[in-house]
Amino acid sequence: MDDSVAEHSRPLRILIADDSDSDRLILKTLLKRLGHEVLDVANGLDAVSVFQREAPDLVLLDALMPVMDGMEAARQIKLLAGERLVPLIFLTSLSEAGALARCLEAGGDDFLGKPYNRIIIEAKIKAFNRMRLMHRTLSDQRDLIRERNRQLTEEQEIAKRVFDNVAHSGCLDASNIRYHASPLSIFNGDVLFASPRPAGGMLIFMGDFTGHGLPAAIGAMPVAEIFYGMANKGFNGQDVLREINQKLKRILPTGMFCCGAMIEADFKLNQLQIWNGGLPDGWLIRTTGELLALPSRHLPLGILAPDQFNADFERVGAAPGDRVLMMTDGFLESADSAGNVFGEQGVTGTLDRLDDGDHPFDAMMSAVHRFTGNFEDGDDLTLCCLEMMDEAGLATLPDRAAPSALAGPAEWRCSYEIRERTLGEFSPLPLLLHICMEVPGLRRKSGEIYTLLAELYNNALEHGVLELPSEWKHSPEGFGRYYAERNRRLANVEGHYIRFTLHHSLKPDGGRLRVICEDSGQGFDFHNHPSVAPGNSPTMSGRYAGRGLLLLKRLAETIRFHEQGNHVEIVYDWQFARTAENRDD
Amino acid sequence: MTDKPHLDEEALAELRDVMEDEFEVLIQTYVADSRDRIRGLQEALRADDSDAFAKTAHSFKGSCINIGAPRLGDLCLRAEIAGKESRLDDASGLLDDIAREFEQVIAGLDGLMVG
Amino acid sequence: MPIQTRRYDDGQTLVIRIEGRFDFSTHQAFRDAYEHGDPHIRNYIVDLSDTTYLDSSALGMLLLLRDYAGGDSAGIVIENCNNDVRRILSISNFEQLFNIR
Repeated sequence: MDDSVAEHSRPLRILIADDSDSDRLILKTLLKRLGHEVLDVANGLDAVSVFQREAPDLVLLDALMPVMDGMEAARQIKLLAGERLVPLIFLTSLSEAGALARCLEAGGDDFLGKPYNRIIIEAKIKAFNRMRLMHRTLSDQRDLIRERNRQLTEEQEIAKRVFDNVAHSGCLDASNIRYHASPLSIFNGDVLFASPRPAGGMLIFMGDFTGHGLPAAIGAMPVAEIFYGMANKGFNGQDVLREINQKLKRILPTGMFCCGAMIEADFKLNQLQIWNGGLPDGWLIRTTGELLALPSRHLPLGILAPDQFNADFERVGAAPGDRVLMMTDGFLESADSAGNVFGEQGVTGTLDRLDDGDHPFDAMMSAVHRFTGNFEDGDDLTLCCLEMMDEAGLATLPDRAAPSALAGPAEWRCSYEIRERTLGEFSPLPLLLHICMEVPGLRRKSGEIYTLLAELYNNALEHGVLELPSEWKHSPEGFGRYYAERNRRLANVEGHYIRFTLHHSLKPDGGRLRVICEDSGQGFDFHNHPSVAPGNSPTMSGRYAGRGLLLLKRLAETIRFHEQGNHVEIVYDWQFARTAENRDD
Repeated sequence: MTDKPHLDEEALAELRDVMEDEFEVLIQTYVADSRDRIRGLQEALRADDSDAFAKTAHSFKGSCINIGAPRLGDLCLRAEIAGKESRLDDASGLLDDIAREFEQVIAGLDGLMVG
Repeated sequence: MPIQTRRYDDGQTLVIRIEGRFDFSTHQAFRDAYEHGDPHIRNYIVDLSDTTYLDSSALGMLLLLRDYAGGDSAGIVIENCNNDVRRILSISNFEQLFNIR
């Protein structure tokens, strides 16, 4: 306010153009007495050139002047002023209406009659200065808004690029994933991440933050970091979800949250695990045509405290070719011109009409496209479809950049044991994988290492400590029973332990990792196990049923069982990478 | 129209107030300016240029009104109208009136200066 | 007014009734409805009988009310939802946090 008062009383630079020397002298003296700076000329041409050079705040112009008259000078001055408001007052003793109108048409803002009256002159100059300042404030504000908007768009563009780098480092482009997410969907609060799991399989997260714009986008970054960071290290969907929920609960204000769904696909076991908290129903579309809804069963992320958060996944068997479809609310809210929304009916209707050859993703996109008539609204939606695959048909994790084999720890040994109730609460796999990944030569093999560790660990836990018979998993009823029993038995693991001993050393052409996994379970008769000792033993006991052991044998140099079968030792060798030019991968 | 005074004492007093030390300069400027205008009117009349006659009369009128010489201003207005209506026959008589009135004004202003 | 409040005779229960759309535009009015600082209020009833629509920012506002009313110990009833409103509340599983009837 003080500024504007000062601004209002600041001396003005005023240009006078009048061919009458005495009139000019009177006016000039009057204005100087009022404290203004005065420039004066005797014709229109000079007025234009002085205006151009000195940029006065206000112009007083005689209508009739030699060389160039006031009308023409007014036109040129207004043109030069452009968007700037320079009040232009005609000095005139004209009284004929037509002549006065011509002055206004030429760009004049007012008249000042002769004889000059200093009170009127002062009042008019003040009034026009107010108008000039108001105009300037408005155009400054408009320019500021325009500039801010440009900045914001630019910043969003940069933020989006940064976000893309973080968010799309995953495997959204894998052949078995189809998705639609608008380029700026992040500013609608939508996120979609996908990552391969070190042991094979995939993890997908779709999220929808409350609100729009920056507040909605802000939570996306930590979620992306957590998702990719943890998925890469081999954490499962539950662990990742818990971490995301805990982080969002901590950083988001009450009232802001993230509806989301996590899908963990296991192509080895042919099963899907799904957690849906606040997103519309997902759908499993089987190759048989059967449809299974995957409804939201949980509160959105960022609402419940960690100890109240429920990260229980739903588990369903899914064969290669089965597809799972997830969408954000924006998809259901896609509206036609009359304001009708696509809705759940739109989704179920489309799914019910699916033909054999139809890809549900394409069917859904074209259905919503047809419904809305145009696709502008479609920019607010995210849709993703994951197809179950044959394990063999899936490309393994891409090799990371060729590491320097000399850097990093090469000769080391460690032992890690988890006991008692920790067995049911914590997976040591990410930690162990992390330790192994410190060895550059092993880093390229993270998938194989993870698989080795996971097979050893799962066998030790489920068949060693918990004594679950793996053949249960072969029937649909047994499948459910198996996992129910698993949870029940995990609550009762007093006195039990699983101990990993890892030992790494260098060899002339690479390195050797030796892993020993011991558990407190009963062990098994490995001497008569079909996979260990060739021979047709009917005692297909609970441990190492078929594929698990075969996998270990395939990946490791050697596998040996000790004691009563609850002590397994594997040896894994790796070779130095050849130079980049002649690597055959 | 002719009943207007040669000089508007009140207007002149205010001008003196505004101009302070420069009042004398103003009067001299006005007088010199006016002589130019009268010459301009004579030339326009000779050239039979009624448009130039009207414009010059208009400008002259403005400065007379401002300086406080209303009767001369009135005469200028009549000259302007005559010019606009292309009645240059009437104009020569008016021009004589203007010259005469101007002398009156000068005399009055001189008196003012001395006083 | 799209939001009206009244108190039960016992002086401990505040009824907040939302008319029309319950979305971000009602944010301030909804907050004003319960942030009046009356220490006697123990229970809140959010009456949605005239609520036609509810979006995720409304869910956020309900969470704010829950926080204000004591978090896990808050006594909040949400009642008279139409089908659309009910569906949105149940997709988000808000019955885990609120008594919805």
